[in-house]
Amino acid sequence: MSKIACFVEKYNFTDPREEGALQNFKSAAEKQGNEFSFLFRENISDVPKYDSVFIRATTDPLNTAYVVSKTAWELGLKVIDDPESITICGNKIHQYALFEKFNVPHIPTVFLNKDELHHKRISEIFDELGKPVVIKAPYTSFSRYVEKAACETSFRDVAKRFFKKSDVLAIQQFTPTAFDWRVGVLNNDILYVCKYMIPKGKWKHGAKLRGKPTVIWGRTVSLHKQELPARIREVALKACSVVGKGLYGVDIKEVNGDYVVVEVNDNPSIYAGYEDSSDKDIYQRIISYLSE
Amino acid sequence: MTVLVVSNIDLTTNMQVMKPATFLDSTIKEATLNISNEYRYMKTGYYVSMHAEILGNQVIPSCENIIDSSRTPILLLRAAKAGVPTLPFLVTDSVKKITTELGYPVILFAVNPFIYDGYKIANNKSALYRGMKSLGMNYKFAVCAQPLKGELFTIKSFFGKTANQDTQTQEIAKRVFETFKIPVCNLHIQKTVDKAYLCGLQPVSKEELSEIDLQQISKEVMLISEQGEHFGV
Repeated sequence: MSKIACFVEKYNFTDPREEGALQNFKSAAEKQGNEFSFLFRENISDVPKYDSVFIRATTDPLNTAYVVSKTAWELGLKVIDDPESITICGNKIHQYALFEKFNVPHIPTVFLNKDELHHKRISEIFDELGKPVVIKAPYTSFSRYVEKAACETSFRDVAKRFFKKSDVLAIQQFTPTAFDWRVGVLNNDILYVCKYMIPKGKWKHGAKLRGKPTVIWGRTVSLHKQELPARIREVALKACSVVGKGLYGVDIKEVNGDYVVVEVNDNPSIYAGYEDSSDKDIYQRIISYLSE
Repeated sequence: MTVLVVSNIDLTTNMQVMKPATFLDSTIKEATLNISNEYRYMKTGYYVSMHAEILGNQVIPSCENIIDSSRTPILLLRAAKAGVPTLPFLVTDSVKKITTELGYPVILFAVNPFIYDGYKIANNKSALYRGMKSLGMNYKFAVCAQPLKGELFTIKSFFGKTANQDTQTQEIAKRVFETFKIPVCNLHIQKTVDKAYLCGLQPVSKEELSEIDLQQISKEVMLISEQGEHFGV
């Protein structure tokens, strides 16, 4: 029997599909004879009372979630997402540098430092990656802070905005596809497989309608993990191996018959009736990992 | 061993010092001493350490320590583990919890992605509400609260050394440096009649660095680059 704390914020309960998944985690934990409690930020001091911590609130090295994760880690608790995974996944510069170092196939990427935002460097980047390029802030999540630029003016415009928070940005080749593979990985093993469809006429999973603030999301098509092509499996596991041994959602694109990693996400979305619809054991497996 | 010194501060020495931008474009594999007045996450001071780690270099400070030392609850937790005197703290967005568990006065530090400098002291409930509103950015984020039992002051620490004469304060600066290896920082410390406690660690602005400070930093940098001290060799 294990006491599991699930660190959440109020917004984790605003979408009934996410709330459904959280309740599924709770039932799975209790069925296995564990205690499962939702831990909100006013009770962070209670972390030492638990055996493991499962973080569902959005993670970032600058968020409360990191404080919870590192506190649990320092106290010797089992924790998803662990602080190192948050550090690497929360900063895409860090992540791509690791992909580069360990030869993980990924979308062609160059880094741009704050003092390189000049005509010569921008031209070099367009020559190398073609037009348009995708400019990514290191702290991107839920398709935010990722924008396209097809000319120097819009490049400067986007980069200047993203440079306010980070002194280095990632610039990537524009690689439109009909969908991204989303491979759920836990402890070096495949947990679930989905296709995150890109909305029609858009180029990312979560896209804004012209002139409107609301984000529309592409459909999620769930597949059985046995249906995952061997090469994607290999690429997904290799990408996770440079990050850590926790729970990840790997985004992969098919480009010219091969597969490249877009990014590895810690704290991947799990919505009832979406990521879980083919492999229904994902809740039990995550709970077992936390309680063993 | 050879130590590569990367600095965004103009050191008063004739030894070789590399600019951060030059280092970020290089693939130099040497133990790296990263000197910066601000090791803020996602700022150049952070990326220098990250780049060094990716290259497989030993580096002072590490990314982990940069992040941890600037998150007050983690700073206090790890410092306490290393034997540095600290006071019990709360991470919360609840005024009630702070009032009942800590009372007044309290020191508040921000725990959010935007505020990296400063703190607030609250002597009563209305001041606490104001403090939590501003450091919690309209109650959107939690804050870190510690009881204020003595006098709070700020000192500059260069490689764990401080101009402050008090031996307990010197010991705190030394231990904090041994634990987090942040070469240049401000330490917030409170002193009661008989004991000093660590409260926070924050960046030093360039304007705060006097000519004497620069000489002090340069002297330490020189010693380390000659002896490889603090790199665990």
